[in-house]
Amino acid sequence: MAPTKQAALRQSITLKGSTDLVTEFFKYAVNTILFQRGVYPADDFHMVKKYGQTVLITQDLALENYLEKILIQISTWLLTGAVTQLVVAIISKDSRTPLERWAFDINLVEQPSQGTGGQAQSNKPEAEIQAEIRSILKQIVSTVTFLPIIDEPTVFNILVYTHESADVPANEWVDTDPLAIEASKSQQVKLRSFSTDVHRIEAMVSYRYEG
Amino acid sequence: MSSRKAPLPKPQASASRLRTTTTTKRDSLAAELERDPQLSTAKRQQRAHALNTTLSQAALERKLASAETTRLQLETRLRERDTTIERLEADRRWLSEREQEEREEKVRISKEREEEKAKAEQDIRSLRSSLSTLQEECADLQDKYDALSHSTSQRLAAQFAELASRESQVESLSAELREAHEAATSHSAEVLRLQTSLDAHAAAQTDLARREAEEASWSVLRAELARQAEHTRHLEAAHSRATAELSTLRERHTAIEVLREENRALERRAAAADELRETVVRLEAEAEAARAEREAWARNSVLDTPATTPVSITQSLSVLRLEHAHLLEEHGADRAALREREAELADAQAHEADARATADVLLHANRAAENRATRAERVAALAEREVRFLQALNASYVSEEATQGSGDIDEAKEQHSKDLEVLVSEYKAHIYALETEIQELAKRPALEHSSGLQALRDELANEKNALQEAQRALDEKVEAAEQDRDKIEQLEQTLFELRGEIGAGRHVPPGVRVLSLVANPAQDWADLRQAALDRLKEENAALLQRLSVLEASSIRGGRASTSTPADVSTATATDTDTDTNVRDATTGPSSMTAAAEELVPRASWTAVCQEKAQLEEELRQKEKRMLRLRQVFAAKTAEFREALSAILGVKLAFYDNGQVRVTSQYDLGAAFVFQPAPRSAGSGGGGAARMQLVAQGEGGPQELPQLMRNWVEMEQSIPCFLASVTLECYDKWKREQEMSVRE
Repeated sequence: MAPTKQAALRQSITLKGSTDLVTEFFKYAVNTILFQRGVYPADDFHMVKKYGQTVLITQDLALENYLEKILIQISTWLLTGAVTQLVVAIISKDSRTPLERWAFDINLVEQPSQGTGGQAQSNKPEAEIQAEIRSILKQIVSTVTFLPIIDEPTVFNILVYTHESADVPANEWVDTDPLAIEASKSQQVKLRSFSTDVHRIEAMVSYRYEG
Repeated sequence: MSSRKAPLPKPQASASRLRTTTTTKRDSLAAELERDPQLSTAKRQQRAHALNTTLSQAALERKLASAETTRLQLETRLRERDTTIERLEADRRWLSEREQEEREEKVRISKEREEEKAKAEQDIRSLRSSLSTLQEECADLQDKYDALSHSTSQRLAAQFAELASRESQVESLSAELREAHEAATSHSAEVLRLQTSLDAHAAAQTDLARREAEEASWSVLRAELARQAEHTRHLEAAHSRATAELSTLRERHTAIEVLREENRALERRAAAADELRETVVRLEAEAEAARAEREAWARNSVLDTPATTPVSITQSLSVLRLEHAHLLEEHGADRAALREREAELADAQAHEADARATADVLLHANRAAENRATRAERVAALAEREVRFLQALNASYVSEEATQGSGDIDEAKEQHSKDLEVLVSEYKAHIYALETEIQELAKRPALEHSSGLQALRDELANEKNALQEAQRALDEKVEAAEQDRDKIEQLEQTLFELRGEIGAGRHVPPGVRVLSLVANPAQDWADLRQAALDRLKEENAALLQRLSVLEASSIRGGRASTSTPADVSTATATDTDTDTNVRDATTGPSSMTAAAEELVPRASWTAVCQEKAQLEEELRQKEKRMLRLRQVFAAKTAEFREALSAILGVKLAFYDNGQVRVTSQYDLGAAFVFQPAPRSAGSGGGGAARMQLVAQGEGGPQELPQLMRNWVEMEQSIPCFLASVTLECYDKWKREQEMSVRE
């Protein structure tokens, strides 16, 4: 058991492994955002240990199903390299104006076609990737300190930016409004990023600020 | 429709009538029964059958009527639905048009954005490329600069070395010059000394001439004078030689002013020699005068006889002659000394010139020897190399020979040796040519060195200029690079802002779709809200309609105030007036619905219905939960009871009225019923519910009354009572068991 594990550690991360990592990160990131920004009541969340820290995960069945559906599709798109950005938009329930947009840029570090030949590239240890993910999640938590306080009921939506050529399930996914925040009222803060050997995820939060 | 409905009341009425008759005739039938049971039974059966048939017919007709009304309702609903669908369709069309417009707008904006972005990207790309080229240029220039500085430093070092050698040369030359100066000064001192001695001699000569004027040794005097003139000529020659030497010195060290001054001093001395010449001329004149005087004296002596000549004069003359001879001797000695000195001087000069010439020759020889030595060394090195080459060749030949064996190699060797000889001869010719060239170069005057130095200096200055220019160009490039860096920073800022644009969703990159799941929380919320809004709108519209109807009716009512309330009700009723009447007659949910439709709008009704359905659903869920909880509770209770019976040996049964029946496990006859005592009745209650023994079973041990008296009445401890009963029962059971075993 031990030698195979060692071998797996020594190997460079594959596209599949990277996709799994990124998808998992999105799950925890979205949950963290929903908890921290109070989109769902705090009672709906329970604590789990992940990335060597405590992360809050929703228990709302409907929300879980929704996220699961999205993450499965995103995983598929990540494997084909069709997805470029994932946006968690927090929208006011009453006015239906977007209040915050948490954008995660997905950049391919290495083309999938070169994946087989990329064995010689620098292998990033998983512990390092996890440390980067941890720091992003911590940053998301800490953004509460500067983001405007939301004191109205909100709802959220997840937007996925894909290439035109992406294979889109016909009845499940539809083209939608990008839920933009007006330029005059928008502020943005670039967050940390993390990268596997295949993907590079850059996080950024834009929020409506009328002051 | 009404024709079909018309006969409906009849069976209803007949049914009711029948019912009444049956109820009224029951007593008479009973009376008949008593009289003739068989006939009455048959009749009763017949009547019952007829009644049943009528009843079923009526029920069927009722059902038909209700189905008809339901159909009507459904048709009206369908119409409503159709209108709603049409309205919705129109709305949808309008919305789709709007959406289309919006999309076109979006596409246009995205195109513009795309163009802008493409332009910006192109700019960035071009700027990046220019930056890279500039950086490359900068790197090239840096390299060139490095190379230049390196070569310049090398040249500087070489020139410094050359300067040092030149300085040493200059030092040696100045030392030579100093020597020449010293020689010149010594020569001038010699000349001065000779001048003074000449002056002294001239003075002595004048004295002698004056004194010997009378003694007339003219020939001697003449010779003396001639010799003096000759000496002067010698001096002049020496002087001219010195002048020539001076000129040569001046030619050699034209740059040196001191020599010129020396030369000037020498010229001044030449002027002094002219003065000397004048003195010589004067002396000659004096000598002429003295000759004239001597001739006068001779004439006098011819005229005078020796007898007449006084003895004193003769004596004085003899003394004078003696003196003259003595002086002549002295003069001859002085002249000899002078000659010796002159000869010495000439020797010294010749010696000096020789020495200088030899020094020059030696220097030349030394240089030539050095050159020759270097050449010889080079030749030797060449020869050595040649020898090594030949050795290597030889070795290769040997190896070749070893590998291939002898034979035709000799010819090749010969050929090769010939070639080598030719090569050697060529080399020699080349070396000779080079040697001649070197000699020619060596023969070139030293001025070329200075010109070479000048050329080197010029080159150095040129190099410095070039270096400065390169430095300036480098500075410019560095400045340009700095500017480019600033530009890059600005562009990066722009890039960040553009990213912010994308991040804020104001710009969707070209070739990118923005997708979201159809069933997303936002959409769900929107749908929910829309549905609630639609419902409210419908309700509102219906209410408004109702209000308008009511208003119309009130107006009508106001106009016909004398009409009866029944008329009002008919006026308010819609076109289904007759139906309502029918429905009023019948009893059932459809009539209730119709009544509701009358009083509240349909929309409100449906909303309430939906709410009701929701609540019912909730209720059902709650009930289900309750049931489940009850099941769980029952299971737990059973478990509890079993545990109790196993531990205490009694079976417990709880009744709804709070009583508890306790039955011993060992004697089913020993059963007791307990009832919780009322709180007020409990004397020593202590909070816990006290039980009262209210009944007992038929069986039980024989000592039961005693036990009851003891434990219940006296001790008032039911647990102890039960324990003792259990013990007794167990004993009895055990005995019975043993007896049955024995039997």
